[in-house]
Amino acid sequence: MTIHATECLLRLHDQHHELEDYQSGVPRWCTGCGDNAILAAVQRLCRDEKLRPEKTMFVSGIGCSSRFPHYMKTYGFHGIHGRALPVAEGIKMARPDLDVFVNTGDGDCCSIGAAHWIHAIRYNMNMTVMLHDNQIYGLTKKQASPTSPRGLKSNTTPRGAYLEGLNPLTVTLGVQNVSFVAQAVDWIPEVLYDIMRAAYHHNGLSFVRILQRCPEWLPDMFEPFMHDPMKTKLLTHEKGLQLSANLSKVYKNQEQHDPSDIHRAREIASGHDPIPVGILYHNPEVPVYEELRHAGQQRSAGYIKTNFEAELDKFTVWPPKADSKVQPSA
Amino acid sequence: MQVELQAHIAFHLTGRMPQGDGDALARSDLQPALLAGYRDLTALRYDFPLVLAAGADKQPVQSLSALFDGALKGIAANGDGERIRKHAGRLEREIRKLIAEGTTGTLSKLCDLATVRIGAKNDESLQKSLDRLRAALKIDGEVIDCDKAMPFRLFQHAWQGLQDQKALKFRAQINTLILKLSDILSADFGHSKEGMSAERLQASIGAAHRDTFDFAAMSRMLTAASVNVPMAESRRQRVRGLLATLRTQRFFPPAIESDKWIGVAEPYSFAFDTCSEAVAAYRERLPKMTELAKAMAIAKLETDGEYSEARHDAFFAQFGDNGLDADDIAAFPDYLVCLRAADFRAAESDLILRAFVSGMPAKLVVLTDDLLEQSPIRDDYLIAGLRSRQLAGTAIGFGASYVLQASASNLFQLREQVLSGLAYRGPALFSVFSGANASHLPAYLAAAAATESRAFPSFTYDPSAGPDWASRFSLSANSQADLDWPSQRLDYEDEEQQRVSETVAFTLVDFAATDPRCAKYFAKVPRAKWTADLLPVSEFLTRERKDLADKVPCLLMVDRDNRLQKVIVNDTLVREARRCVEAWRSLQEFGGIHNSHAARLLEQERKVWAEQAQAAAAAVSQQTSAAAVASPAAVAVPAAVVAAPAAAEAAPEKSPDEPYIETARCTSCNECTQINDKMFGYDANKQAFILNPDAGTYRQLVEAAENCQISIIHPGKPRNPNEPGLDELIKRAEPFL
Repeated sequence: MTIHATECLLRLHDQHHELEDYQSGVPRWCTGCGDNAILAAVQRLCRDEKLRPEKTMFVSGIGCSSRFPHYMKTYGFHGIHGRALPVAEGIKMARPDLDVFVNTGDGDCCSIGAAHWIHAIRYNMNMTVMLHDNQIYGLTKKQASPTSPRGLKSNTTPRGAYLEGLNPLTVTLGVQNVSFVAQAVDWIPEVLYDIMRAAYHHNGLSFVRILQRCPEWLPDMFEPFMHDPMKTKLLTHEKGLQLSANLSKVYKNQEQHDPSDIHRAREIASGHDPIPVGILYHNPEVPVYEELRHAGQQRSAGYIKTNFEAELDKFTVWPPKADSKVQPSA
Repeated sequence: MQVELQAHIAFHLTGRMPQGDGDALARSDLQPALLAGYRDLTALRYDFPLVLAAGADKQPVQSLSALFDGALKGIAANGDGERIRKHAGRLEREIRKLIAEGTTGTLSKLCDLATVRIGAKNDESLQKSLDRLRAALKIDGEVIDCDKAMPFRLFQHAWQGLQDQKALKFRAQINTLILKLSDILSADFGHSKEGMSAERLQASIGAAHRDTFDFAAMSRMLTAASVNVPMAESRRQRVRGLLATLRTQRFFPPAIESDKWIGVAEPYSFAFDTCSEAVAAYRERLPKMTELAKAMAIAKLETDGEYSEARHDAFFAQFGDNGLDADDIAAFPDYLVCLRAADFRAAESDLILRAFVSGMPAKLVVLTDDLLEQSPIRDDYLIAGLRSRQLAGTAIGFGASYVLQASASNLFQLREQVLSGLAYRGPALFSVFSGANASHLPAYLAAAAATESRAFPSFTYDPSAGPDWASRFSLSANSQADLDWPSQRLDYEDEEQQRVSETVAFTLVDFAATDPRCAKYFAKVPRAKWTADLLPVSEFLTRERKDLADKVPCLLMVDRDNRLQKVIVNDTLVREARRCVEAWRSLQEFGGIHNSHAARLLEQERKVWAEQAQAAAAAVSQQTSAAAVASPAAVAVPAAVVAAPAAAEAAPEKSPDEPYIETARCTSCNECTQINDKMFGYDANKQAFILNPDAGTYRQLVEAAENCQISIIHPGKPRNPNEPGLDELIKRAEPFL
């Protein structure tokens, strides 16, 4: 139930923010880094959706990607390695009214934070997760990450990586309760923005893997894809992405893909070349954990105190006749 | 003319039977033939009795038989299914008998009683079946039969359920606001001097470690270091005022956690027996309601940190002056008024209609017990359901109120409509016929007969269903709504024990025949005098008057021994039946059945269409004769016209001499802006464009083009011909032109 008059008032005095109002400081990322494109797209999204900075939250772990909250003039939480998702879930549980975004990298999410990632998908809480996937540990200067392709030479794999890279899309699409999976590339900003907007509007956990260039350590990684538009396959559908006429002219390799078809989504997700870009899977019907658990209920001070005491009492050993000493004398 | 016929016509016209020519009607003996099968209702399985289910998540009105069927579906699937089914049937029959005897109570109580009465104690298998059945019956609640009190009970129950749901939502919201407002005050206190005093700091730490700290020093340091600006006094006052308003509201019971509040008066009651009481209460509570809605709106802003005195004070000073918003009103309880049509005075009806117009959220249930009233002007005139017709008609006329008319027997069938009427945002009128009048039929049958005979047709008018009559008005709950009178097949056995099948209509006259007060309008005709001149009433009503000179309307009835009888009818009832069918036909038109406007329009369209078709046919025949003379090339013309425009639209090409950036593809990577931020700039979407081509050198343009990761910078031709090293630069720029 909403009080109508209030809604009117809020609309009356709607504050309009410019993109710069969401910008905080000059990013410390290298010149040419794909993270800049993601930042610009997200700031654009915040402006266009009129997100109130004090009601918006960016949570991250550790890595280049995870510096993201510093550059947003909203609330942020630069967490610890691999733990961006649990922190974000806690925030959402206590404050379901906030818009929560998570920025995590291929090392942060797919290596040390892998367990949290799997369970966050299963919990399906309403938040937007951006996996900045540059396929390398950049902040610590070029070590192989779980998504580095086989044969990649790095400081930790001087003879080339021995293993196939992990595919975050197929992993995510294999987890129970998955509700939104998309892939974007930082060098097509228009599509990146469209995908981010769709992800934001989805009620549930939206997982967006963004292939992101690292000009410092892997300058040639995506070179072929950037120079041959046929090596990018855009997924379009009336329920997914719709491309502008100009973009359609450049990217002619397109596929009509219904995002509700999870089997085809899994097939598409397994492809590396051409890179699939678009919304692979979308199911708005999956239950959202905080809604199942009626999160965000107001608790009075008395309620918190009673339950907190009860919780501590579980661990208290009460020696005989200790009551008078411990209990405050009236 | 035969003597019998003369006597019959005399009765038809005057109401008097010449001596010895016909039997005076011994009333209670006869029933309309179509009702013959329904003498003993307890032996039949039908909608009633109903169970008023307790619990917010359940459908509030359920049918006993459907409940039993549902329970059996789950448990009677195995081998012993047949046995359980039989035993459940016995229990259900016994409950029906108990109800018919006047026993009241909940389903579980009636089940207990019935179990004892059918002797389950001495029959282990019966007891076992009933135990399993009882376990599968997930619903409990009061059981009610179709009697005089039923409609009010049903409406009160359904209304209460909806109010409980509203209360739940409302209280959750109020509770949240109260807690958040209290948090604002306590945070303010925590930052104040008193909040940081040594005593308070001490009190916040457990007794065990109290001696470890110097609270006075702590207080001094905290107070000195505090940069917190105390809350403005006006805000503090406002928050306190809001808290007081929210805590003392009486529209809903107080929220659970705040039960302890002192001085909270009893919550208001919203169920009334008269309109005047309801309207008076509404008027009295309106200012309080406005105040509470306002407090909630302010509190919401306040807790979101959005309240600004400069902006909002003026607005809220006038809040509610023009009445509350429909959404705001909808959150508050509805006023339920249950009254009997017989007690309904003209002044009351005027009052309630005025309240309806002003949008009072009233749910008015008007129960009619007697449909056949004497006309106030002429004694020999009967008027069927005058008052209810009048009220429902006026309420529909307003356009913005929900109107439902139905007999008590149809209420279960219309339960969804009853619920949506009660939940409707605005006034709603429910006009119900109870069937519990002097008639010797059970209330259920009398009510059903009233609907069937069009004396009290069912309809709903739901303004929320759409913008027009087609979506708002529905007659679908009536049987065979497209006919004047519904008709059923009647099978009986004639003197030669042969099966005879006949289609018999159920008319207003049949309904009147169930009422002992109408006995004087009927006369039984001995079998020997059954002639072809006795015409069924339904047929009599459809024939032209001039063909009726030597006909007498008659009804088929059955007596106590289930023998078919014919009964002739006095003209008074026939006249009333004509009026009734007139009223029914105008309802049909509202409901889109045999709609005269539509029929007229259709006729017109048909005519136009026919003319066009004729014209087209004429043109074709002319053309074919013309085509024989001219060449056939003319046919191809339209195709050529369509083909032309497609090529026109093309994007304006950029001049290769001018430098430019494909801005939409820019990834905001800062490569170019770091080379020269006067030359390259970002637009509102943080994507690069050429800010000023003359703010730097051609060399910078070419370098930016080379550095751009996605090659979207096009340097164009050099603007300054004297720039050093131009030849080399032009060569380097070539791939990006």
